[in-house]
Amino acid sequence: MGIFGLAPLILLFPVIGVLFNGLVGRRFVNSNRSTGEKWSGWFASVMALSAFVIAVLMFLALQGNGFEAQIVHVFDWMHIESAGFTIPWALQVDTLSVTMMLVVTGVGSLIHIYAIGYMHGDPDFSRFFTYLNLFLFFMLILVTGNNYLMLFVGWEGVGLCSFLLIGFWFGRTDAQGQAMNANAARKAFVANRVGDLAMILAMSLLFWTFHTLEFQPLFDGAVEMFESDEMVHFGAFSATLGSVLTAVTALFLMGAAGKSAQIPLHVWLPDAMAGPTPVSALIHAATMVTSGIYLIVRSNVLFEIVRESGALVLGIVSSPDLVAYVGAATALLAGLIAFTQFDIKKVLAYSTVSQLGFMVAAIGMGAYVAGMFHLVTHAFFKALLFLGSGSVIHGMEHGHHDISHGHGDHHDHFDPQDMRTMGGLKDKMRSTFTVYMIGALALAGIPILAGFWSKDEILAHASEHNFVIYVILTLAAICTAFYMGRQLKMVFFGSPRHEAAEHAHESPPVMTTPLWILAGLSVVGGFLNLPFLTEGLAAANDHHAGGMWLALEGWLEHSIEAFHLSEEGIVHLPHTPLVLSPVVAGLSTLLAVGALLLAFYWVYGRRPETAEQPDPLQRTPIWWFAILPLDTLYMGYLIPAFNRLAAWLANSIDERFWHDFVHNNIIRDFFVGFASFASNVLDAKGVDGIVNGAGKVAQGLANVIRQSQTGYARNYALSIFLGTVALLAYFLLMAN
Amino acid sequence: MLEVTTNHYIWLSIILFSIGALGVLLRRNAIIIFMSIEMMLNAANLLFVTFSRQAGDLDGQVLVFFVITVAAAEVAVGLALIVTIFRTKRSINIDEINLMKG
Repeated sequence: MGIFGLAPLILLFPVIGVLFNGLVGRRFVNSNRSTGEKWSGWFASVMALSAFVIAVLMFLALQGNGFEAQIVHVFDWMHIESAGFTIPWALQVDTLSVTMMLVVTGVGSLIHIYAIGYMHGDPDFSRFFTYLNLFLFFMLILVTGNNYLMLFVGWEGVGLCSFLLIGFWFGRTDAQGQAMNANAARKAFVANRVGDLAMILAMSLLFWTFHTLEFQPLFDGAVEMFESDEMVHFGAFSATLGSVLTAVTALFLMGAAGKSAQIPLHVWLPDAMAGPTPVSALIHAATMVTSGIYLIVRSNVLFEIVRESGALVLGIVSSPDLVAYVGAATALLAGLIAFTQFDIKKVLAYSTVSQLGFMVAAIGMGAYVAGMFHLVTHAFFKALLFLGSGSVIHGMEHGHHDISHGHGDHHDHFDPQDMRTMGGLKDKMRSTFTVYMIGALALAGIPILAGFWSKDEILAHASEHNFVIYVILTLAAICTAFYMGRQLKMVFFGSPRHEAAEHAHESPPVMTTPLWILAGLSVVGGFLNLPFLTEGLAAANDHHAGGMWLALEGWLEHSIEAFHLSEEGIVHLPHTPLVLSPVVAGLSTLLAVGALLLAFYWVYGRRPETAEQPDPLQRTPIWWFAILPLDTLYMGYLIPAFNRLAAWLANSIDERFWHDFVHNNIIRDFFVGFASFASNVLDAKGVDGIVNGAGKVAQGLANVIRQSQTGYARNYALSIFLGTVALLAYFLLMAN
Repeated sequence: MLEVTTNHYIWLSIILFSIGALGVLLRRNAIIIFMSIEMMLNAANLLFVTFSRQAGDLDGQVLVFFVITVAAAEVAVGLALIVTIFRTKRSINIDEINLMKG
């Protein structure tokens, strides 16, 4: 097993971090603020970095053994002999999981280090790092598990950590006194839970059909069943494999919609921005939200079988196509909503939802590598953007602190995240501005930067296979460029619209260094899947893309079985020979640059100049998206209806039936009746009767016998005489 | 002529004893009861002497002395008791001595 045996350490290091910060971290921080924070924060970051080292080791080990998947068995978790049910706790080290591991631990470590600076001065400093490491632990379980149940453990765990971290400042209330963070955390958890329900149903179906939840045996079984055209039997009911897998994949889509914020469960992500910025960067940009993508890529065999079998969801559209359409729709919708947001983080949140839509659309169309590529590059530049926005918010807060210290009025409800109060920060925060610019351009899809390569790979694939989706995604890309241009203009250019912006200053190096690293990755990240690296390598690897060698694709194809199945002709993966079409790429670049310039110069050229001025788009139909479709529907109709139902159930069933009727009337009355029976009948009459009766018998006997005590001497004399006579008679007669 | 045998003495003794016993049981006067007790004792004495004569031994007659002594002592005590009771109750009807009734 060699180096692969070290794989479980990747889970152990975060656990050590959790235990340290959870048990003793608070004491460190409280005893000596500055060194305590250093101990607590750096311990957690070192644990994250150690996990990263292990991930790198796994990467190198895979290079060494020909990219073969390795299963590292730790212990048997559940084992029920009679049902043939075995779930091992085993890590699957293959190229796909190592990719995820590297992203999670790499970006995670950078964010840990950033958070040391960002959370400085927070009273719950060590609790934050406990939760961060706990999140790493669960996320790594999710990506390294070798069976669906282990993935689900990680799935639920990251949902929990998301709740804990969004609600980190749980006491925070907004202007109306509503508990902001707590509500947002709960919303995230409930939305995730809906997806979890779908996941459990899907896993149950899978187990019922294949009697295993481990990836490799399950996929092998599925291919076998598909080739032999077997029907699946559920007791008396049987179905084709295609329809069963359609149900499973549709449920997986629902689960991914919950975790990766797709329509209709995207509503929690923007609210989650109430949490600390490192949380938004880590969980809601780079890692947790990508777990839905990972799930679907991992299950690529099932999706391709469904595509091949032609089974339809409700007779309308096949499951993979449904995935693609949901993704595309989400991409466009979120992109349009982002136009109307004033909070710097909410723009990025909707941008994340939109980019996740891109990834989901890609994998729905069968471009698994393109989706994963975009996942990796997006992790880089979105984390960069979020951390950058955190730096901006920090600067604004410090600026506000400085001015209100001078003026003494801290009480105006100043929102450091509101872009309307920013402006001109490019001079005040040079470093942040530069990296933010790089991130924004990468997101918009400017050539050379990472986002261009991954996004255009998706667009190229779409243009070949599904023109409708291509159009929708292109529109979404235009929106992306536009709202990023808007954001850049409002935040960094022009002149400051509030005194706090005038007094803003740059963040400390512990925060800006990770930003620079991420900026570098955003620039070179695209080279992961560059279509033309060297001719020699292309010939040596003879790849699917018409002789062009693609590093990431070559790497990932060892884990994505659909490629092999497609070669054998079992399924037909809609594969594009070309990953970069010059036409598509050129068009998208043109549109992106056009949108950026449009936003920068024409729409937001002069306005807004002051914080109170309305947004130039407010009188256009675009502003309709400011009502946040679906979210208002849920909060306005669905949730109140649900609450009324729950209240009615509580009152009639719990209160009136259970408490009042069953508890009081049935149970209590029965008990009281029994108790009174026992006390009145059994005790008073029964036991007392026996005891008193004995006394009465004795008394009666005594009354009878007392009558012989007459007091007459003659009676006594008579009895003496009779006694003597009897005795004599006895002796006389016995003598004979 | 009827020979007076030992049997006659025994019969006499029995008769005397019975009369004495009945007297103790049936008479009300305490002094009469004492007299009846004496009669029973004397019947027993007669029996002792009879068998002593029959056996040609003097052991029976020695026992008679004991019985007479005991009878005398008992009478002394008994009469003293009766006098005391008479002083309190002014009657020696034993039916009236029933304070131990109960």
